[in-house]
Amino acid sequence: MWNGIKSLLSGKSTRDVAKGRLHLVLAHDRSGLEGGRLQEMRAEIAAVIAKYVPIDASAVEIQIETRSRQTQLTVSSAIQPRNV
Amino acid sequence: MGRAIVITSGKGGVGKTTTTANLGAALAQLGHSVVLVDADIGLRNLDVVMGLENRIVYHVVDAIRGKCTLQKALIKDRRMDNLWLLPASQTDDKDAVTPDDMRRVIFELKATHDFVLIDCPAGIEQGFKNAIAGADEAVVVATPEVSSIRDADRVVGLLAAADVPARLIVNRISAHLVKRGDMLSQSDVIEILALEMLGAIPLDDQVIATTNKGVPAVLENKCLAAKEFIRIAKKLAGHEVEDEAVGFFTRIGRALGLSATPA
Repeated sequence: MWNGIKSLLSGKSTRDVAKGRLHLVLAHDRSGLEGGRLQEMRAEIAAVIAKYVPIDASAVEIQIETRSRQTQLTVSSAIQPRNV
Repeated sequence: MGRAIVITSGKGGVGKTTTTANLGAALAQLGHSVVLVDADIGLRNLDVVMGLENRIVYHVVDAIRGKCTLQKALIKDRRMDNLWLLPASQTDDKDAVTPDDMRRVIFELKATHDFVLIDCPAGIEQGFKNAIAGADEAVVVATPEVSSIRDADRVVGLLAAADVPARLIVNRISAHLVKRGDMLSQSDVIEILALEMLGAIPLDDQVIATTNKGVPAVLENKCLAAKEFIRIAKKLAGHEVEDEAVGFFTRIGRALGLSATPA
Protein backbone atom coordinates (compact mmCIF):
# COMPACT_ATOMS: atom_id res chain seq x y z
CA MET A 1 0.00 0.00 0.00
CA TRP A 2 2.62 2.52 1.11
CA ASN A 3 4.89 1.44 -1.73
CA GLY A 4 2.01 1.95 -4.10
CA ILE A 5 1.48 5.51 -2.86
CA LYS A 6 5.20 6.25 -3.00
CA SER A 7 5.48 5.02 -6.58
CA LEU A 8 2.41 7.04 -7.53
CA LEU A 9 4.04 10.17 -6.12
CA SER A 10 7.44 9.58 -7.71
CA GLY A 11 6.01 7.99 -10.85
CA LYS A 12 8.62 5.23 -10.64
CA SER A 13 8.27 1.72 -9.32
CA THR A 14 11.16 0.04 -7.50
CA ARG A 15 11.23 -2.29 -10.50
CA ASP A 16 12.04 0.67 -12.78
CA VAL A 17 14.61 1.95 -10.31
CA ALA A 18 16.30 -1.46 -10.24
CA LYS A 19 16.40 -1.57 -14.04
CA GLY A 20 17.94 1.87 -14.31
CA ARG A 21 20.57 1.10 -11.68
CA LEU A 22 21.46 -2.18 -13.37
CA HIS A 23 21.96 -0.55 -16.77
CA LEU A 24 24.48 1.81 -15.20
CA VAL A 25 26.21 -0.66 -12.91
CA LEU A 26 26.66 -3.21 -15.71
CA ALA A 27 28.08 -0.56 -18.02
CA HIS A 28 30.68 0.26 -15.37
CA ASP A 29 31.39 -3.42 -14.66
CA ARG A 30 31.75 -4.30 -18.33
CA SER A 31 34.04 -1.39 -19.10
CA GLY A 32 36.02 -1.77 -15.89
CA LEU A 33 35.56 1.96 -15.35
CA GLU A 34 34.68 3.10 -11.85
CA GLY A 35 32.23 5.98 -11.40
CA GLY A 36 34.87 8.29 -9.93
CA ARG A 37 37.27 7.67 -12.84
CA LEU A 38 34.46 8.46 -15.24
CA GLN A 39 34.07 11.89 -13.64
CA GLU A 40 37.83 12.49 -13.93
CA MET A 41 37.58 11.62 -17.61
CA ARG A 42 34.65 14.00 -17.97
CA ALA A 43 36.72 16.87 -16.62
CA GLU A 44 39.63 16.07 -18.96
CA ILE A 45 37.38 15.78 -22.00
CA ALA A 46 35.67 19.06 -21.07
CA ALA A 47 39.07 20.76 -20.92
CA VAL A 48 39.98 19.43 -24.36
CA ILE A 49 36.70 20.58 -25.91
CA ALA A 50 37.10 23.99 -24.28
CA LYS A 51 40.42 24.39 -26.10
CA TYR A 52 38.59 24.37 -29.43
CA VAL A 53 35.10 25.75 -28.82
CA PRO A 54 33.56 27.90 -26.13
CA ILE A 55 31.66 25.69 -23.71
CA ASP A 56 30.53 25.71 -20.14
CA ALA A 57 32.88 23.01 -18.84
CA SER A 58 30.64 22.21 -15.90
CA ALA A 59 27.73 21.45 -18.22
CA VAL A 60 29.55 18.67 -20.10
CA GLU A 61 27.71 15.43 -19.52
CA ILE A 62 29.21 11.98 -19.68
CA GLN A 63 27.18 8.84 -19.73
CA ILE A 64 28.01 5.18 -19.99
CA GLU A 65 25.20 2.78 -20.72
CA THR A 66 24.74 -0.75 -21.85
CA ARG A 67 22.09 -2.30 -24.07
CA SER A 68 22.12 -5.83 -25.44
CA ARG A 69 25.73 -6.41 -24.40
CA GLN A 70 26.91 -3.24 -26.20
CA THR A 71 28.36 -0.61 -23.93
CA GLN A 72 28.28 2.96 -25.15
CA LEU A 73 30.05 6.02 -23.87
CA THR A 74 28.34 9.30 -24.64
CA VAL A 75 29.76 12.75 -24.02
CA SER A 76 27.49 15.68 -24.70
CA SER A 77 28.14 19.35 -24.41
CA ALA A 78 26.25 22.45 -25.43
CA ILE A 79 28.42 24.89 -27.39
CA GLN A 80 27.97 28.52 -26.47
CA PRO A 81 27.04 30.87 -29.31
CA ARG A 82 29.97 32.88 -30.71
CA ASN A 83 28.80 36.41 -30.14
CA VAL A 84 27.74 36.23 -26.56
CA MET B 1 28.66 -38.64 -26.73
CA GLY B 2 26.62 -36.77 -24.13
CA ARG B 3 26.36 -33.05 -23.43
CA ALA B 4 27.99 -31.38 -20.45
CA ILE B 5 26.04 -28.43 -19.08
CA VAL B 6 27.35 -26.27 -16.26
CA ILE B 7 24.80 -24.58 -13.97
CA THR B 8 26.32 -21.35 -12.77
CA SER B 9 25.37 -17.92 -11.40
CA GLY B 10 28.26 -16.00 -9.88
CA LYS B 11 26.27 -15.13 -6.78
CA GLY B 12 25.60 -17.77 -4.14
CA GLY B 13 22.18 -18.74 -2.87
CA VAL B 14 20.22 -18.14 -6.06
CA GLY B 15 19.30 -21.78 -6.64
CA LYS B 16 22.09 -23.41 -8.66
CA THR B 17 22.04 -26.64 -6.70
CA THR B 18 18.24 -26.85 -6.63
CA THR B 19 18.18 -26.20 -10.38
CA THR B 20 20.83 -28.85 -11.03
CA ALA B 21 18.95 -31.43 -8.93
CA ASN B 22 15.59 -30.72 -10.54
CA LEU B 23 16.78 -30.50 -14.14
CA GLY B 24 18.78 -33.70 -13.63
CA ALA B 25 15.85 -35.59 -12.15
CA ALA B 26 13.51 -34.26 -14.85
CA LEU B 27 15.91 -35.28 -17.65
CA ALA B 28 16.22 -38.74 -16.09
CA GLN B 29 12.42 -39.02 -15.92
CA LEU B 30 12.31 -38.20 -19.62
CA GLY B 31 14.42 -41.30 -20.18
CA HIS B 32 17.86 -39.76 -20.55
CA SER B 33 20.87 -41.07 -18.72
CA VAL B 34 22.12 -38.30 -16.43
CA VAL B 35 25.01 -37.76 -14.07
CA LEU B 36 25.09 -34.79 -11.70
CA VAL B 37 28.54 -33.52 -10.80
CA ASP B 38 29.02 -31.47 -7.64
CA ALA B 39 31.91 -29.16 -8.54
CA ASP B 40 31.74 -27.28 -5.25
CA ILE B 41 34.82 -28.89 -3.72
CA GLY B 42 34.92 -28.34 0.03
CA LEU B 43 31.33 -27.08 0.28
CA ARG B 44 29.33 -29.88 -1.23
CA ASN B 45 25.55 -29.69 -1.12
CA LEU B 46 24.13 -31.45 -4.15
CA ASP B 47 24.21 -34.69 -2.11
CA VAL B 48 21.86 -33.33 0.60
CA VAL B 49 19.55 -31.63 -1.90
CA MET B 50 19.27 -34.98 -3.71
CA GLY B 51 18.88 -36.87 -0.41
CA LEU B 52 21.89 -39.07 -1.19
CA GLU B 53 24.22 -37.88 1.59
CA ASN B 54 24.26 -41.21 3.43
CA ARG B 55 25.40 -43.19 0.44
CA ILE B 56 28.69 -41.45 -0.32
CA VAL B 57 31.78 -43.67 -0.20
CA TYR B 58 34.11 -42.07 -2.73
CA HIS B 59 34.07 -38.61 -4.28
CA VAL B 60 35.42 -36.78 -7.31
CA VAL B 61 38.83 -36.05 -5.74
CA ASP B 62 39.28 -39.76 -4.94
CA ALA B 63 38.57 -40.55 -8.59
CA ILE B 64 40.99 -37.87 -9.80
CA ARG B 65 43.73 -39.15 -7.48
CA GLY B 66 43.17 -42.73 -8.61
CA LYS B 67 41.91 -43.95 -5.22
CA CYS B 68 38.94 -45.42 -7.07
CA THR B 69 37.62 -45.60 -10.62
CA LEU B 70 35.29 -42.84 -11.77
CA GLN B 71 32.43 -45.33 -12.12
CA LYS B 72 32.96 -46.45 -8.53
CA ALA B 73 32.60 -42.88 -7.24
CA LEU B 74 29.16 -42.52 -8.87
CA ILE B 75 26.14 -42.93 -6.61
CA LYS B 76 23.04 -44.31 -8.25
CA ASP B 77 19.77 -42.62 -7.38
CA ARG B 78 17.49 -45.56 -6.60
CA ARG B 79 14.32 -43.57 -7.27
CA MET B 80 15.11 -43.62 -10.98
CA ASP B 81 16.75 -45.89 -13.50
CA ASN B 82 19.24 -43.53 -15.01
CA LEU B 83 20.36 -40.86 -12.57
CA TRP B 84 23.76 -40.73 -10.87
CA LEU B 85 25.61 -38.31 -8.61
CA LEU B 86 29.33 -37.67 -8.53
CA PRO B 87 29.81 -36.02 -5.12
CA ALA B 88 32.39 -33.38 -4.29
CA SER B 89 34.80 -33.98 -1.46
CA GLN B 90 34.09 -32.10 1.73
CA THR B 91 37.61 -31.98 3.16
CA ASP B 92 39.78 -30.85 0.26
CA ASP B 93 40.00 -27.28 -0.94
CA LYS B 94 39.23 -26.02 -4.42
CA ASP B 95 42.90 -26.26 -5.40
CA ALA B 96 42.75 -30.06 -5.04
CA VAL B 97 41.32 -30.08 -8.57
CA THR B 98 42.62 -28.46 -11.76
CA PRO B 99 40.67 -27.55 -14.91
CA ASP B 100 42.50 -30.37 -16.72
CA ASP B 101 41.35 -32.87 -14.08
CA MET B 102 37.76 -31.74 -14.52
CA ARG B 103 38.02 -31.82 -18.31
CA ARG B 104 39.12 -35.47 -18.13
CA VAL B 105 36.38 -36.42 -15.65
CA ILE B 106 33.62 -34.73 -17.65
CA PHE B 107 34.88 -36.21 -20.92
CA GLU B 108 34.80 -39.69 -19.45
CA LEU B 109 31.28 -39.18 -18.05
CA LYS B 110 30.02 -37.88 -21.41
CA ALA B 111 31.05 -41.15 -23.01
CA THR B 112 28.56 -43.09 -20.87
CA HIS B 113 25.75 -40.59 -20.20
CA ASP B 114 23.44 -38.37 -22.29
CA PHE B 115 23.71 -35.43 -19.90
CA VAL B 116 26.40 -34.36 -17.45
CA LEU B 117 25.09 -31.50 -15.29
CA ILE B 118 27.81 -29.67 -13.40
CA ASP B 119 26.79 -27.75 -10.27
CA CYS B 120 29.19 -24.80 -10.18
CA PRO B 121 30.32 -23.17 -6.92
CA ALA B 122 29.54 -19.52 -6.29
CA GLY B 123 32.24 -17.03 -7.23
CA ILE B 124 34.44 -16.66 -10.30
CA GLU B 125 37.74 -18.02 -9.05
CA GLN B 126 39.34 -21.46 -9.23
CA GLY B 127 36.16 -23.41 -8.46
CA PHE B 128 34.34 -21.64 -11.29
CA LYS B 129 37.20 -22.24 -13.71
CA ASN B 130 37.21 -25.94 -12.81
CA ALA B 131 33.44 -26.21 -13.19
CA ILE B 132 33.31 -24.68 -16.67
CA ALA B 133 36.44 -26.43 -17.96
CA GLY B 134 34.67 -29.49 -19.32
CA ALA B 135 31.33 -27.84 -20.15
CA ASP B 136 29.90 -27.66 -23.68
CA GLU B 137 27.23 -25.18 -22.68
CA ALA B 138 26.01 -23.24 -19.63
CA VAL B 139 22.79 -22.48 -17.83
CA VAL B 140 23.03 -19.20 -15.94
CA VAL B 141 20.67 -18.96 -12.97
CA ALA B 142 19.68 -15.49 -11.77
CA THR B 143 17.05 -14.24 -9.39
CA PRO B 144 15.29 -10.97 -10.27
CA GLU B 145 17.50 -8.92 -7.94
CA VAL B 146 20.12 -6.29 -8.68
CA SER B 147 22.96 -8.22 -6.97
CA SER B 148 22.19 -11.53 -8.67
CA ILE B 149 21.85 -9.97 -12.12
CA ARG B 150 25.04 -8.02 -11.72
CA ASP B 151 26.99 -11.17 -10.82
CA ALA B 152 25.27 -13.15 -13.57
CA ASP B 153 26.44 -10.54 -16.06
CA ARG B 154 30.06 -11.05 -14.98
CA VAL B 155 29.67 -14.79 -15.42
CA VAL B 156 28.10 -14.33 -18.86
CA GLY B 157 31.16 -12.33 -19.88
CA LEU B 158 33.54 -15.00 -18.56
CA LEU B 159 31.58 -17.78 -20.28
CA ALA B 160 31.69 -15.88 -23.57
CA ALA B 161 35.45 -15.45 -23.19
CA ALA B 162 35.75 -19.22 -22.62
CA ASP B 163 33.53 -19.94 -25.67
CA VAL B 164 30.82 -21.62 -23.63
CA PRO B 165 27.36 -20.72 -25.00
CA ALA B 166 24.97 -19.72 -22.22
CA ARG B 167 21.22 -19.64 -21.68
CA LEU B 168 19.25 -18.16 -18.81
CA ILE B 169 16.91 -19.39 -16.10
CA VAL B 170 15.28 -16.72 -13.97
CA ASN B 171 14.58 -18.21 -10.55
CA ARG B 172 12.13 -17.24 -7.81
CA ILE B 173 9.90 -14.89 -9.76
CA SER B 174 6.91 -13.66 -7.81
CA ALA B 175 4.07 -12.74 -10.16
CA HIS B 176 2.51 -10.74 -7.35
CA LEU B 177 5.61 -8.59 -6.75
CA VAL B 178 6.20 -8.03 -10.47
CA LYS B 179 2.61 -6.88 -10.87
CA ARG B 180 2.97 -4.51 -7.93
CA GLY B 181 6.07 -3.00 -9.55
CA ASP B 182 8.42 -4.26 -6.85
CA MET B 183 10.26 -6.95 -8.76
CA LEU B 184 12.04 -7.15 -12.11
CA SER B 185 10.09 -9.29 -14.56
CA GLN B 186 11.60 -12.11 -16.60
CA SER B 187 11.60 -9.89 -19.68
CA ASP B 188 13.43 -7.16 -17.73
CA VAL B 189 16.12 -9.69 -16.83
CA ILE B 190 16.40 -10.96 -20.42
CA GLU B 191 16.65 -7.40 -21.70
CA ILE B 192 19.44 -6.57 -19.27
CA LEU B 193 21.48 -9.75 -19.66
CA ALA B 194 20.70 -10.22 -23.38
CA LEU B 195 20.67 -14.01 -23.08
CA GLU B 196 18.43 -16.63 -24.58
CA MET B 197 15.79 -17.62 -22.03
CA LEU B 198 15.19 -21.23 -21.01
CA GLY B 199 12.47 -20.47 -18.51
CA ALA B 200 11.39 -18.74 -15.32
CA ILE B 201 10.81 -20.61 -12.08
CA PRO B 202 8.15 -19.13 -9.82
CA LEU B 203 8.88 -18.49 -6.15
CA ASP B 204 7.33 -21.59 -4.64
CA ASP B 205 7.15 -22.77 -1.00
CA GLN B 206 7.02 -26.34 -2.21
CA VAL B 207 10.63 -26.16 -3.40
CA ILE B 208 11.72 -25.38 0.17
CA ALA B 209 9.57 -28.21 1.53
CA THR B 210 10.87 -30.80 -0.95
CA THR B 211 14.46 -29.69 -0.34
CA ASN B 212 13.90 -30.26 3.39
CA LYS B 213 13.11 -33.86 2.53
CA GLY B 214 15.96 -34.36 0.07
CA VAL B 215 13.56 -34.97 -2.79
CA PRO B 216 13.84 -32.92 -6.00
CA ALA B 217 10.50 -31.14 -6.50
CA VAL B 218 10.04 -32.65 -9.97
CA LEU B 219 9.76 -36.14 -8.44
CA GLU B 220 6.55 -35.06 -6.73
CA ASN B 221 5.50 -32.91 -9.70
CA LYS B 222 2.80 -31.06 -7.83
CA CYS B 223 3.96 -27.49 -7.68
CA LEU B 224 4.32 -24.79 -10.33
CA ALA B 225 8.10 -24.71 -9.93
CA ALA B 226 8.31 -28.45 -10.65
CA LYS B 227 6.23 -28.05 -13.79
CA GLU B 228 8.49 -25.30 -15.03
CA PHE B 229 11.63 -27.34 -14.29
CA ILE B 230 10.15 -30.18 -16.33
CA ARG B 231 9.33 -27.83 -19.18
CA ILE B 232 12.90 -26.48 -19.15
CA ALA B 233 14.33 -30.02 -19.07
CA LYS B 234 12.28 -30.87 -22.16
CA LYS B 235 13.54 -27.77 -23.88
CA LEU B 236 17.15 -28.62 -22.96
CA ALA B 237 16.71 -32.10 -24.39
CA GLY B 238 15.17 -30.73 -27.56
CA HIS B 239 11.66 -32.10 -26.96
CA GLU B 240 8.60 -30.25 -28.17
CA VAL B 241 7.52 -27.73 -25.55
CA GLU B 242 4.75 -25.26 -25.24
CA ASP B 243 5.44 -22.06 -27.15
CA GLU B 244 7.39 -19.46 -25.19
CA ALA B 245 4.85 -16.89 -26.43
CA VAL B 246 2.37 -18.44 -24.02
CA GLY B 247 3.71 -16.45 -21.14
CA PHE B 248 4.73 -17.55 -17.73
CA PHE B 249 1.90 -15.66 -16.08
CA THR B 250 -0.64 -17.10 -18.46
CA ARG B 251 0.59 -20.54 -17.51
CA ILE B 252 0.52 -19.71 -13.82
CA GLY B 253 -2.92 -18.23 -14.19
CA ARG B 254 -4.05 -21.36 -15.98
CA ALA B 255 -2.55 -23.58 -13.33
CA LEU B 256 -4.40 -21.57 -10.71
CA GLY B 257 -7.55 -21.78 -12.79
CA LEU B 258 -7.62 -18.02 -13.28
CA SER B 259 -7.74 -17.83 -17.05
CA ALA B 260 -10.54 -19.56 -18.86
CA THR B 261 -9.15 -20.94 -22.07
CA PRO B 262 -5.63 -21.77 -23.15
CA ALA B 263 -4.42 -19.30 -25.76
